[in-house]
Amino acid sequence: MALQARYEDVPLETKQHLFDQVKADARFDSYLYGCYECGICVAACPSARFYDFSPRKIAQAAGRQDLPMFYEQLNDDIWNCSQCFSCTRCPRGNNPGGLITIMREVAINNGLSSAKHALEGYGRVVYKIMSTGTQVSPDMLQPNAFPDWGPHVQEISDNLELWRRALPPDTLHTTSTAWEVDDRTLTELYLIWHMTGVLDMIKSVDMGLHMILNDVMEELLDEAGYTAD
Amino acid sequence: MPETVLVIGGGPAGLEAARSVAAIGGRAILVERRGVLGGTPDESSYAALTPRMGSAQDALDELRAGVADPAIDVRLETLVTGCSGSVGDFSVSLSGPGGESSERVGAIVVATGFQHFDPGRETQMYGYYEYPDVITLPDAEKMLKEHTFVRPSTGEPPRNVAFIQCVGSRDRRIGNEYCSKVCCGVASKEAIEIRRLLPDTKVYIFYIDMRMYGYWENEIYWPAQEQYNVTYIRGIVTEIVGKDGRLLMKGEDTTMGRPLEVLMDVIVLSVGMEPSRGTRDVAGILGVDQNKYGFIATPGEPMDPVSTSVPGIFVAGAAAGPKDLEDTIGMAGSAAIRAVAAVRGQAPAQPAAAR
Repeated sequence: MALQARYEDVPLETKQHLFDQVKADARFDSYLYGCYECGICVAACPSARFYDFSPRKIAQAAGRQDLPMFYEQLNDDIWNCSQCFSCTRCPRGNNPGGLITIMREVAINNGLSSAKHALEGYGRVVYKIMSTGTQVSPDMLQPNAFPDWGPHVQEISDNLELWRRALPPDTLHTTSTAWEVDDRTLTELYLIWHMTGVLDMIKSVDMGLHMILNDVMEELLDEAGYTAD
Repeated sequence: MPETVLVIGGGPAGLEAARSVAAIGGRAILVERRGVLGGTPDESSYAALTPRMGSAQDALDELRAGVADPAIDVRLETLVTGCSGSVGDFSVSLSGPGGESSERVGAIVVATGFQHFDPGRETQMYGYYEYPDVITLPDAEKMLKEHTFVRPSTGEPPRNVAFIQCVGSRDRRIGNEYCSKVCCGVASKEAIEIRRLLPDTKVYIFYIDMRMYGYWENEIYWPAQEQYNVTYIRGIVTEIVGKDGRLLMKGEDTTMGRPLEVLMDVIVLSVGMEPSRGTRDVAGILGVDQNKYGFIATPGEPMDPVSTSVPGIFVAGAAAGPKDLEDTIGMAGSAAIRAVAAVRGQAPAQPAAAR
């Protein structure tokens, strides 16, 4: 359709195959009706203010089944969404953020290199949340602990207390005040990660992380009478 | 004083106006240029009506049955050739198969309708007279009436079909600055019918604004988009050129912010409404004012949409400007009541806007 498109070297069949997976998702029909192109989703979108990102275009490309544009978005746009779902104020009842959730899952399940790249920086966060069942707190933000958090991590961690006073968050959780997760809850969480396919998803983007998580979970699951795979 | 109302035009507006005159105890003479009643929906082979997809012929049959009444004198193949007198006592000359005749009537309802814009005219060409696969809404309607939709050049079903909206409407350059009101709905209706007939065909609608007010919104626009996957692209096509036996369409996808070129197999021009030849002629014969586009002027709008510049002469339907059938039928009833009241010398006080 468009005169210029990125990824022209990728065969249309590949794009169609990935689009079909998104469309086949059980949530798709309730996330996309039709689009007026009114722009209320973009107006509400925090990411759209900082990136070249438009939830409207996500909904439009999916509605039009515009495969070249869909494939561009699958690689270049969907990781700019913060998944806040402000876009659900759509008058047609669309959920562009929900479409992005599905697209992210398809990108990961198919091992797209753009997905791997986008998630590289989050390996330790994912490890922390999935292994302990509790949150990442700001005082963990140290260059040694999270060197993959970008070029400003040193500067931010040096003056963290100042930053936090300047931009007070609702809670001021730290490693010492975060809640403790008991073993039974953790066992259930591990089971959920396994049974819903989250671990398989991680496997397709980060083999190393998948191995470490499996090792951590194995013991507790064994004790509870489950086998880790 | 004659109790009779002359209704000019046997389309939906005229049929309903004549029926309404009889229903409230008046008498009507209904004159029609053609040999059959039904007007443009009949002459242009309308298939299914927007928005509810009911059969046009069934709807027209109902209207035709309404004028089978001893109080209604139907004159086919008849033209109005002259008019004199004033409200309550007009003398009109009619020319029909039996020759010339003169009738005295108390009031007149003009229901002479519209004609589809001719896309060959002036600048908005789009190759209508050059490429057989560039057609208009009524051309598509003819095929859909036969439950088929093919490329006229080959007789094969098309892979890609595009509608171009506002052809002959909303264009200062060609003088038609108004919106023709129904084309968005009719194009969407035809798009649905094409998708039903040809589930593998992609159908696009290129538009400036989609204007489907009221219930046309959820009865036509949403289903077209949501159930039938008709693709709406905001942007008007600049030109169409032939390429390898297909049609290359150039335009801008304005909401995506990029130029586009697409190959189409059939392009349907959504032509708007212009005053019919009959409307222009009858306006001159009756001496009623026309607006700058040639439609019958209605100086009493918005509260009085049926009075013309001449007392005792009323207008109904698309003779007064673009109208859908709902508005046409409502207007016809109103014009009939006003005409009968004028005949009986009980014309209601003119609304403030008309004074």
